[in-house]
Amino acid sequence: MKHLRQFLFASLLAFLALATLSACSSQQAGSSTKRVTITFWHGMTDSRKTELNHLIRTFNNSQTTYKVIGSSQGNIVNVQQKITAAAKSKTLPTIAQTVYTNVPDYVRGDIITPFDPYIKKNDLSDLHTAFRQSINYQGKAYSMPFSRSARILFYNKTLLKKEGLKVPTTWADIQKDGLQLKSKGITAMAFDQNFVTEADGLTRQAGSPLFGNGFDVNLTNKKSLAAIHVIWDMLQNGTATTAGTDGYGSVAFFKGKTLFYSGSSAGISTMQASTPKGMRWGTATLPSYQGQKVSSNSGNDIVMFKSASKAQRKGAAAFVKFLMSQKQTIKWAEKTGYVPLTKSAKSNAGYQQFLAKNPTAKAAENSLSFGFQDKPFLGYNQYLVAVGKSFDEMTANHVTPEKAMTQLQKQLPKMAKEQQK
Amino acid sequence: MINAKPTLKSTLKALLYLAPLLIVTITFTIWPLISSFLMSFYTKYNYFTNQVKAMGGANFAYLWQNPDFHLAVRNTLVFVIGVVPLTVILSLGIALLLNQINWLSSFFRTIYFLPFVTSTVAISLVWNWIFHQDNGLLNALLGGSVDWLNDPHYSLTALIIVCVWRGLGFNIVLFLAGLNNIDNHYYQAAKLDGASAWQQFTNVTLPMLAPITVLITVNEIISSFKVFDQIYALFHGQAGPANADLTMMYYLYQKFYVEGQYPVAAASGVVLFIFIVIITGLAFWYFQRHSIKIWGRRS
Repeated sequence: MKHLRQFLFASLLAFLALATLSACSSQQAGSSTKRVTITFWHGMTDSRKTELNHLIRTFNNSQTTYKVIGSSQGNIVNVQQKITAAAKSKTLPTIAQTVYTNVPDYVRGDIITPFDPYIKKNDLSDLHTAFRQSINYQGKAYSMPFSRSARILFYNKTLLKKEGLKVPTTWADIQKDGLQLKSKGITAMAFDQNFVTEADGLTRQAGSPLFGNGFDVNLTNKKSLAAIHVIWDMLQNGTATTAGTDGYGSVAFFKGKTLFYSGSSAGISTMQASTPKGMRWGTATLPSYQGQKVSSNSGNDIVMFKSASKAQRKGAAAFVKFLMSQKQTIKWAEKTGYVPLTKSAKSNAGYQQFLAKNPTAKAAENSLSFGFQDKPFLGYNQYLVAVGKSFDEMTANHVTPEKAMTQLQKQLPKMAKEQQK
Repeated sequence: MINAKPTLKSTLKALLYLAPLLIVTITFTIWPLISSFLMSFYTKYNYFTNQVKAMGGANFAYLWQNPDFHLAVRNTLVFVIGVVPLTVILSLGIALLLNQINWLSSFFRTIYFLPFVTSTVAISLVWNWIFHQDNGLLNALLGGSVDWLNDPHYSLTALIIVCVWRGLGFNIVLFLAGLNNIDNHYYQAAKLDGASAWQQFTNVTLPMLAPITVLITVNEIISSFKVFDQIYALFHGQAGPANADLTMMYYLYQKFYVEGQYPVAAASGVVLFIFIVIITGLAFWYFQRHSIKIWGRRS
């Protein structure tokens, strides 16, 4: 028994000695190739996650200094929730994908840092104007564009031909088509859950935008109300519909219950995959109003957290520049349905070939020259919820735009005051 | 040993045994509770930097004046009043029926229990189809064209139906356990006294089921006050059409995660907590006070 105990003790000592030696040797080997780690939280899932992982691998393979570790946190809402929690527990990553309108809250919370010291203005000169403007908050570039999309018009080619109609160029055309189709039980236009995005564009075209400079907006302006009436009247007379719990207007569109659908270009790949057999559809830029064309650009940016070391910040900037580079942004756009971030992409031969093969992607690319994004401000999300509620009242309870906007206007001073807390 | 006088050593030993659970409870339940209670009084507060510049009751005053919160309270109370009695009565009824049959009783028990173990998202997808205006099962059966989920007049009823259906399975199992525990001698004695089936039910079954009924009712009240995920999944991330299904829990979520009004969210959480305590207390009080009248002396 005593011999057995001695044998076991000796074995344990030998094992510990070996383990220590091997740990030392592996540490030595590791230190010679040690790279700065950049952690990246994103909200990409399914095929987009696969594509993003591919981009991350390409970047890592091109590097000897930095290594990006991507981590999908679920969808983009989940990423926001994770950031809120991690900021408190001080476990934030180096960079994360986020909605750019969160930037003011993050700046106030002192958790993000601008990219300006690491990315020169020249590096951003090729970006589309709307993207360049939206990344700026208080004169600094607190976020960098990544997965961006444009609002476009989807149309049912078969139905359009059958009804002898043309792709609309103005909102008045859609209103007219709606009256023609009404007796057949088909609506002219389907929107997603609400029509805030389209109303945002229309009021902008009218010269009195719904989302302007912070809470300083005139919602009861005649021009603004007339612009909202364009859609509200159609909803009331049954020539347009919102998706409600269907989530997206594409559901009614695929059922052949509507001729047009106003949706995000990011949905093209999903729509292609779920198109019913025998249905043919195309895309166009959104129609004009008051002689002007606009298209709301939405999507997500990348922010850099203050908790990152200087080396990590440099690495993060290098990675973001890589993502925004001509080659990668085109590749990303081709694979995912998002738009290329750069103006020069349009003249790129490879991308031209892609557009020729995929004509549904053309509308989004063509929309970028007149794209716009809301200016971020402190309290944007609170305002967005209030606007959404007002538009829901207009849709579900048939409240007039005049009444809904007057009520919303009255709430603005209080909302602005709450932000000073 | 049980009656032994506690000493410092034995107390420390007991604490050591309790420590793992105590640490977990303090960290994940007690501390967040205290933390959110304190947060509800922060009036000038930076969530990220944790800087508190002023404290007071302004967040509660905000809730007092906020029409959305009033709507959330109203919807929650309507929801609780709609869900709790329906769930308890239906569960009891189905449990009684299942208790009567021997053939396929396990099969039916499993069928009724399935909704409880199925994910909310999957359930919501199915109910979304059932409630759909154009090709939904419910409209096909009723022969109408009600837009259950998008019409503010019907959406809360739709939510109540889903939640009652979901809660049935678990409560049926609890009632069945209660029914199986009733000694058959009581029924034999009642029969000897010439009691009818209804009299046996009111004088034997109901009184004997009193403890489990209290448990189910209180459990249903608490979970109904906290309803959130069914709303989120059923209405595609919204609080129903024009906020028709905005509940207190959904209001809290919206204020915290969407609008970033953290102290207001914490204050609404405190109000929700008070509501639950009061209503649960009232339920207990009611059962205690009326137990003799309704269920005889035993309960």
